[in-house]
Amino acid sequence: MSVTKTQAQAITGSICWSCKAPVDGAHFCASCGKVQPLPPGTDYFGFFGWPHKLTIDPALLEEQFHKLSWKLHPDNFVRASEEERNLSLDRSSQLNDAYRTLRDPIARIEYLLLRLGLRKEGTTKQQAPPELLEEVFELNESLDELREARAEGGDVDALRGWLVEEQSNFKEKLEGVDAELQAVAREWDAALDANANDAARNALLARMNEILNRRSYIRNLVASVQKELE
Amino acid sequence: MGRTVGIDLGTTYSLIAYMDPQTGAPKCIPGPYGSTLCPSIVSVADDGKILVGDPARERLLTQPDRTIYSVKRLMGCGVADIQDELTRFPFRIDETSSNVIRFRLGDKLFTPPEISAYILRELKTWAEKYFGDTVDRAVITVPAYFNDAQRQATKDAGRLAGLEVLRLVNEPTAAALAYGLHKQKRGHVAVYDFGGGTFDISILKLVSTSEGDIYQVLSTNGDTHLGGDDIDNALMDVARREIRAQFGVELDRHGEAVQELRRVLIRAKHELSSSEKAIVKCRISSTQTYSREFTRTEFEDLIRPIVARTMAPVKLALADAKLDPKDMDEVVLVGGSTRIPLVRKTVGDYFQRAPHCELNPDEVVALGAAVQADILESGVKTMLLLDVTPLSLGIETMGGVVAKIIPRNSTIPASAQEMFTTGVENQTGIDVHVLQGERELAKDCRSLARFQLKVPPGPAGLARIEVKFLIDANGILQVAAKDLRSGGEHSIEVQPSYGLSDAEVEHMLEESIEFAEQDFADRQLIEARTEAEAILTATEKAFRDPRSVEISAAERRSIENSVASLRAAMAGKDYKLVRQRIDELNQATTNLAEILMNSALQTALEGKRLDDV
Repeated sequence: MSVTKTQAQAITGSICWSCKAPVDGAHFCASCGKVQPLPPGTDYFGFFGWPHKLTIDPALLEEQFHKLSWKLHPDNFVRASEEERNLSLDRSSQLNDAYRTLRDPIARIEYLLLRLGLRKEGTTKQQAPPELLEEVFELNESLDELREARAEGGDVDALRGWLVEEQSNFKEKLEGVDAELQAVAREWDAALDANANDAARNALLARMNEILNRRSYIRNLVASVQKELE
Repeated sequence: MGRTVGIDLGTTYSLIAYMDPQTGAPKCIPGPYGSTLCPSIVSVADDGKILVGDPARERLLTQPDRTIYSVKRLMGCGVADIQDELTRFPFRIDETSSNVIRFRLGDKLFTPPEISAYILRELKTWAEKYFGDTVDRAVITVPAYFNDAQRQATKDAGRLAGLEVLRLVNEPTAAALAYGLHKQKRGHVAVYDFGGGTFDISILKLVSTSEGDIYQVLSTNGDTHLGGDDIDNALMDVARREIRAQFGVELDRHGEAVQELRRVLIRAKHELSSSEKAIVKCRISSTQTYSREFTRTEFEDLIRPIVARTMAPVKLALADAKLDPKDMDEVVLVGGSTRIPLVRKTVGDYFQRAPHCELNPDEVVALGAAVQADILESGVKTMLLLDVTPLSLGIETMGGVVAKIIPRNSTIPASAQEMFTTGVENQTGIDVHVLQGERELAKDCRSLARFQLKVPPGPAGLARIEVKFLIDANGILQVAAKDLRSGGEHSIEVQPSYGLSDAEVEHMLEESIEFAEQDFADRQLIEARTEAEAILTATEKAFRDPRSVEISAAERRSIENSVASLRAAMAGKDYKLVRQRIDELNQATTNLAEILMNSALQTALEGKRLDDV
C-alpha cells in the first residue's frame, strides 16, 4: 500500500478545472473533454444522474455501468497528466462503489437511509421482532444444546434435523420481510413521483428503517444457525 | 522511449510477449536457447555474477546453495507465513528476516523482489536483443488471489529491474483476454489457472457493448500457495520415505541428490500426463540408486487431495458470482498443472463440459499481458478489463474485530471513506490498523499496515479525520487522510506490515546503480592493465636496443622507477591510478623514444600509445 495526496478541493466547482467552461457536475467537460472532479455531496444515485428512487432496472444499471467504465477507467489515462490520472481514479472508483451498492436492492435502501441521516454507518441496529421472541428463544436454546452435545460427544443428529427445519422457517420469514421492505420501497418511489410532503416521506423512511433492523436480526439468526450446522 | 511488453512472472517459468504490429496478434519472445520459457531460477556464481534461467537451472544440481527457484512463493511474505514451505523448499532464510524474507545465496543476502528483478531483467534483455531497442515499460501479471503485499512486492521487482510497471494484471484475466480474442466468444467464462505455485479461479462475463468488448470479472478466489510445486513435493515425500526405508539414508535438504531426485520426479510427472507409467531412477550415492515405477493410478491417488483443494475456491467463486456450474458458457484451463489428466477430468466433471485447452497453457497469460500493454500504451482501446479485488479490506475496531470497508470481489478501483475521531480527552493520536481477509478477527486476517493519525490535544470527539482507502487498478491500496475541521491534507506515515518500504526500494535501486558502477570500474581496470602490459613490453624491448645506452644513468633510473610504480598500480584495483602511472612512464620514456626515432622501437612505443588512447 502507499500514501497518496488527497484531491485538492479548490478545483471542484461548476466550471471546468482545465478550460473554465461551465460543466455543472458532468463527468466530462463538454468543451475540452477533460474528466471532472465529482461535485461535493454527489451521492450514488446522483452519480448516474438519477433521483432517489429505489426501483432500479438491473439491466439499465449494468448498461450505464459499462458505458461509464469505458470512459472513466484509469486505462484511458495512463499517458495523461497526474491530475487527470487522479481524477479518473477518483471517478472510476466512485462509479464502482455506486454500482456495487445500487445493484443490491437491500444495500440500496440502506445507503439511501444513510444518506438521509436515518442510519449511521457501521451501526446496524438489530431489533428483535416481538412476535418472534418466543421462537427465537427456543432456537437459541437448541443452538446451546447442540453446542453442548457436540462438546460432550452426545447425539447431535436429532438436534441438527430440528435446526435445519427451524432455519428454513426463519429463511421464509426473511423472505417475508424482504417482500415487506420492497413494498414500502415502491411506496417511497410513488411518494417521490407524487411530490409528497416531508412528513409523508419521513414516515416511509422510518418504516423502511424499522424493517431493516428486523431484517438484520433475522438474518444474523439464520447465519448463526448456518455456522453451527457447518 | 523504448518498447512496452507484457510479462508473465511465473513460479516455475517466466515469459515475455509483445503485440506484433504486423499480425496484430500477441507473440512470445524466445530467449538465447530458442525457448520462450525462462526458468524462474537465479544463481549467484562464485565471482558474484548473477545467472538467470537455463544456466541457473544447470546449477541447481552443482551449486544448490547458490541457486534459488520458486521465489514467487516468498513474494510479500513474512517468515511466519512460510514455515510450512521451509520444510519442503531448500530456501536458506537468514535469521534477520522477519517481515521481509532475506535469504542467503553464497555470501550475499537477497530479498524476493530482488531475485524477481533479476528474472525480469533477463527477460528484458531477451526482448531488447529481439527488438534491437530498449524496453522500459511493462504490464506484469500476478495471481488473482495475490494480496496487497504480494502485489506491491511484484511492483517493486519491476522497479528494481528498471521497468515502469504500467499495470499489474491478474493472470486468469490476462488469459481470458488472450482466449476471448482468439475465440470471439461472449457469455460466462470460468478460468481455472493451476500453475507451478499458485491456483486461481476467476469467473468472468464477456459482453459486447457499442463501444467495444468488456471483460468483467465477477468473482475470483484461489490459493497463492498451491500449485505444481506441491505435486512435486508429494512425489518427493514418497521417494524420500522409500529411500529412508530402503537405504536408511536421510537426504540432505540442501544436497545435490535431493535436486537430482526432484528433477527426475518432475520428469516422471510430465510423462504421466501422456503415458500410463513412468520410471524414476536416481543415484543417491556412489553405490546406491533409487529406482521405481510410478503408474498413473498411483500418481492420481497421490495427488487427488491436492487437486481436491482447488475445488473449494471454485465453489466459493461461483457462489460469490451468484452462478451455478451449469451457467458457464466456457471453461478455460491455464497453467502447466492443467496438463494433468486428473485435473482436466475433475474440472470437466464439475462444470459438466469439456474444458478448453487449445491455447498453450504456458504462454496464454503472457500473451494476454501483451494485449493489455498494447492497449495502455497505444491509447487505442479495443477492449476493457474490469477486475476485482480478491480479498475484503477492513480496519480493526474495538476488541480486535475487523470492520469490512471494501468487500471482496468489488470492481477496482474501489474506495471507502472512514471518519476517525478521538475517544478520550487530550488524545494526540488515533491508531489505524488496515487488514485484508475474510475472517472476523484482526489476528486471523492479513495485516497490511498500521499508521497513526496525529491530532492536537483537545476534547474527545473534536478531531475529525477522514481517511480515504482506495484500491487502485493494480489491486494495491492507497490511503490519504483529510482533516475535516481545517479542510487540509493530513499527513500520515504508513508502516507496511510486510515487504519493503519505499526507502528500502530506493536504497536497492541506488545499490544496483553502484553495482553498475562497480561493473564499469572492473571493465576499466581490465583495459588499463592490458594497456600497461603493452607499454611495459615496449619499454623492456627499448632497453634491449643497443642505442639505449645513450641515455643517462639518472634517466634510466627514472624509467625504472616509473616501471616499478606502474607494476605496483597494476596489482591494485584502481584503474585511474594505473592510467596515471602509464602516463608517467610515457613521460619518462619520451627522450628514450626520441633517441630511438626511426627505429621500429619508436613505432612500437608511439603506436601503442596511439592505439590505446
